[in-house]
Amino acid sequence: MLYREAGQFKTTYGADQQIFPILQDRLFVLAVIAAAVLVVPLFATQYLYTEILIPFLILSLAAIGLNILVGYCGQVSLGTGGFMAVGAYAAYNLGLRVPELNNLVIVFLFGGLMSAAVGILFGLPSLRIKGFYLAVATLASQFFLDWLFARVKWLTNYTPSGSVAVGETSAFGWKIDTPAERYLFILAFVVVATVVAKNLVRGHIGRSWMAIRDMDIAAEIIGFRPLRTKLSAFAVSSFFIGIAGAMWGFLRLGSWEPLAFDINRSFQILFMVIIGGLGSLLGSFLGAAFIVLTPILLNQMPGWLGVGMSTALISHLEFMVFGAMIIFFLIVEPHGLARLWSIAKEKLRLWPFPH
Amino acid sequence: MKRTRSFNEVLLAVENISLSFGGVKALSDISFDIAKGEIRAIIGPNGAGKSSMLNCINGFYHPQQGAITYKGVRRSQMRPHEAAEQGIARTFQNIALFRGMSTLDNIMTGRNLRMKTGLFWQALHVGPAAREEIEHRRAVEKIIDFLEIQHIRKVPVGQLPYGLQKRVELGRALAAQPELLLLDEPMAGMNIEEKQDMCRFVLDVNDEFGTTICLIEHDMGVVMDISDRVVVLDYGKKIGDGAPDEIKGNQAVIDAYLGVSH
Repeated sequence: MLYREAGQFKTTYGADQQIFPILQDRLFVLAVIAAAVLVVPLFATQYLYTEILIPFLILSLAAIGLNILVGYCGQVSLGTGGFMAVGAYAAYNLGLRVPELNNLVIVFLFGGLMSAAVGILFGLPSLRIKGFYLAVATLASQFFLDWLFARVKWLTNYTPSGSVAVGETSAFGWKIDTPAERYLFILAFVVVATVVAKNLVRGHIGRSWMAIRDMDIAAEIIGFRPLRTKLSAFAVSSFFIGIAGAMWGFLRLGSWEPLAFDINRSFQILFMVIIGGLGSLLGSFLGAAFIVLTPILLNQMPGWLGVGMSTALISHLEFMVFGAMIIFFLIVEPHGLARLWSIAKEKLRLWPFPH
Repeated sequence: MKRTRSFNEVLLAVENISLSFGGVKALSDISFDIAKGEIRAIIGPNGAGKSSMLNCINGFYHPQQGAITYKGVRRSQMRPHEAAEQGIARTFQNIALFRGMSTLDNIMTGRNLRMKTGLFWQALHVGPAAREEIEHRRAVEKIIDFLEIQHIRKVPVGQLPYGLQKRVELGRALAAQPELLLLDEPMAGMNIEEKQDMCRFVLDVNDEFGTTICLIEHDMGVVMDISDRVVVLDYGKKIGDGAPDEIKGNQAVIDAYLGVSH
């Protein structure tokens, strides 16, 4: 009964067009952010930060980026890992070669911009090829970028093993090294990036992406330019993915080699987007949470239940149950977890009446 | 009851248009004009080349021969976004809405050529971007009121019944405030009430906004009632052109529709 929008009248178009038109939604989101900033640091352990919260936030950001391209603009991409690598190595090289700019905010934005440029380049074929064929073309970008960072030694500063390590991480004089500080920094970045992404998808640029996704011929006839629209989606998507890649390298790994951003990473992010919900920013978070948390939960479950099992058996079971859950969710709701959430909200609005 | 109106200014003229796909001649040597402010109908049996004609006018097909003169500028072919920028909007025979978007968003896309703010302001959604969004929303709400679709404003169009989808598609075309509106079978598959509504909208658009309309329609009752002039195509050739009453009495047209013994 609490979730009622009755009595909340909109008298201006501005009020009707805000991100969360329903008061309860606004309060809920503010409460979640406040809890993430104020309450989580009170009890969080190092394990919770480094293994759960930080990966969840960074991969959510990557999923938002990919969702813009796949979910909003309808261009399938398997090059996410490669674009993350571009962001990470671009940020690394800027910090290394221009020490005055070794500020996390600056190097991350630089990583994002470089990734956007590479995204535009690999987005060019999208004018001619569509669907599965485009997916294969973006796969080529993944392999090319893997090769590039393994072979061009300048990019990895000629380290013998090809693995790079970041030095001091700080932003505007704030030294960010404890897990709690990293978490808060990433949280701030992700919140801002999410607001930006939401603004883009609800404005005319987002409508142009969705128009191309839903019916490209009609979109062209009413005046959208397909190439410009698709490339803008590639650019914005790769920008977010590049920032996520730089964060993954700097704040999650600290030191990494090209393998950290291989094809498996691309698939992982794509699964997050599909399971979370194509064309939904909330879905990006839900998908990331599902993919990051479920294996950990499944792994810990036997211990909590007091069932004695060998570690090998536990890890086999983890894969089996995880796979089964993915199939279950896709059958129950092909539109992803975000759709389940909106159905639940719809039911809650009417509760206790059936319709 | 039938309005007789006269028009002087030619808005669009097609001259000797020929279009073929491989060996199939879709259009051969077609010429006709559309006067500013009129309702012009294109009729003809299935496969006569009516939709191909509209596709040439708004630049989706490029005719091999002939020229299109629009607002005094003569071109051998149009390009789609050029046509859109020049004020030509259209609807499609089989609905071409953006199914994943709401009615409101679909109609908003019709105003895309007027929305100019760049990525930066869009990302922040303040200042010019927010003002622009509200200003265009106001224009779109007028169209929503005009077409009486307030109740489905936020419904994804994929969930709407056919007749309403047709209406939303008309709304999207109107949102561009076109000078020339091309309607490809706006009443196909509709029941009598829906057809009456659609006729009313077409006439109102023509009267209130002064929009020139070129429509393809199979319902002869509708065509003869609402159009000022009719052009008849058969097998890619023009077999008749004139006021509805002339067309009704044209022997070639009657033969095309009813068949003729050879």
